[in-house]
Amino acid sequence: MSSFEYLPYDDGTQLARQIEGYPRSFTRTPAQPLIRRPTTLSELTGPTGLERKLKIGFEDGRRAMGQLIGVEGRVADEDGAPVANAVIEIWQANSAGKYIHELDRHEAPIDPNFTGQGRVLTDAEGHFQFQTIKPGAYPVMESDWWWRPPHIHFSIFGPSWLNRFVTQVFFPGEPLNAMDLLLNGVKDPEARERLIFRAEATSVGAVNMLKFRRDFVLRGRHRTPALD
Amino acid sequence: MGTPSPYCTIGPFFPTQFADECDNLTQFEGKTARGQHIVLKGRVVEDGNVPVGNAILEIWQADANGIFRHPLDPRCSEADPGFFGWGRARTDAQGRYCFRTVAPGSYGERRPHINMMVLAIGLTRRLVTTVFFTDSLGDIEDPVVSSVPEAARRRLLAVRDKSLDAAGVEGYRFDIVLRGENETPFFVD
Repeated sequence: MSSFEYLPYDDGTQLARQIEGYPRSFTRTPAQPLIRRPTTLSELTGPTGLERKLKIGFEDGRRAMGQLIGVEGRVADEDGAPVANAVIEIWQANSAGKYIHELDRHEAPIDPNFTGQGRVLTDAEGHFQFQTIKPGAYPVMESDWWWRPPHIHFSIFGPSWLNRFVTQVFFPGEPLNAMDLLLNGVKDPEARERLIFRAEATSVGAVNMLKFRRDFVLRGRHRTPALD
Repeated sequence: MGTPSPYCTIGPFFPTQFADECDNLTQFEGKTARGQHIVLKGRVVEDGNVPVGNAILEIWQADANGIFRHPLDPRCSEADPGFFGWGRARTDAQGRYCFRTVAPGSYGERRPHINMMVLAIGLTRRLVTTVFFTDSLGDIEDPVVSSVPEAARRRLLAVRDKSLDAAGVEGYRFDIVLRGENETPFFVD
């Protein structure tokens, strides 16, 4: 078994932990410094083979309202090696900006043909794909101005507890992107692009949909052996 | 080479069934886990001791014999067929969560423990901590415990709470303070 190392995330290419205008980030972020700990077997292992426990797929049904899109991408580690058989959980608002969730107070309609949730598994090369409806924007009810731009949530189970990963991915060219507190919580513009889908070439044919791509890099790289 | 993708908050609308279907770790593929079954209950609070509802907690742990269901564990082939080792729960409006699992075994240099992570609105990254199941602080020799300032170590201990006991199941309480007095120790991630 090859040896892996998981260096701490580089804060410069991640979201800020506290974001002006995002009040909960100030009351929930620990005041004490985070503690460095050794990584042992317990942290290096993690839930793999979760497809034996969690149902993979999306609910079948009639076509939901909205713009049909195809989403694809690849999950790799920092060395570019594929992360195979990774469970990816996906959830999002419908085309009107409404989630099926008891806490969603937005008055937009629920689409009876859209659950907005599902799971896929990466293949041996780390590739994944699914079809969905482009999500709508929605207002943050606790705010008096903030509208979330269209985005899709991803939760990815890598091979280790240390690269369990959760994020949101945005659509290119959306006017609301420029003022979103979360997307702009990544200060490095190049790193911010890693949270935005890339629009793929359009085509007209058997299945008519717009295509978007987002690759993910999970933390973890092969340890370089000592030379002695 | 590649730079890790940015983490982002789980937000308010994580599908409730994704969490609710995973809070019992004592069954896997129709088999019941070996060892002492426990309930691990607690409350998540933020600054000012305010409960955090709708937080998503995930745990990862060894089975009753201290074996992880993972290829890196040399004893993986002996892992309990009735135990997967991963679970997820959501806090209610009062910030309360509850897992049903087994008491993890010790192995090598590690004392019995459960890895825990917290996701919630306001947390742009996950918070990770470790829950220990040792009766007294005095006999803890564990490299992760040792990395924590001595005064904060007791906040990593799940407390035996007999009021949570059910038939054959032992109750433990572990409260999580994200920020403020008695803040839970969290690790660099």
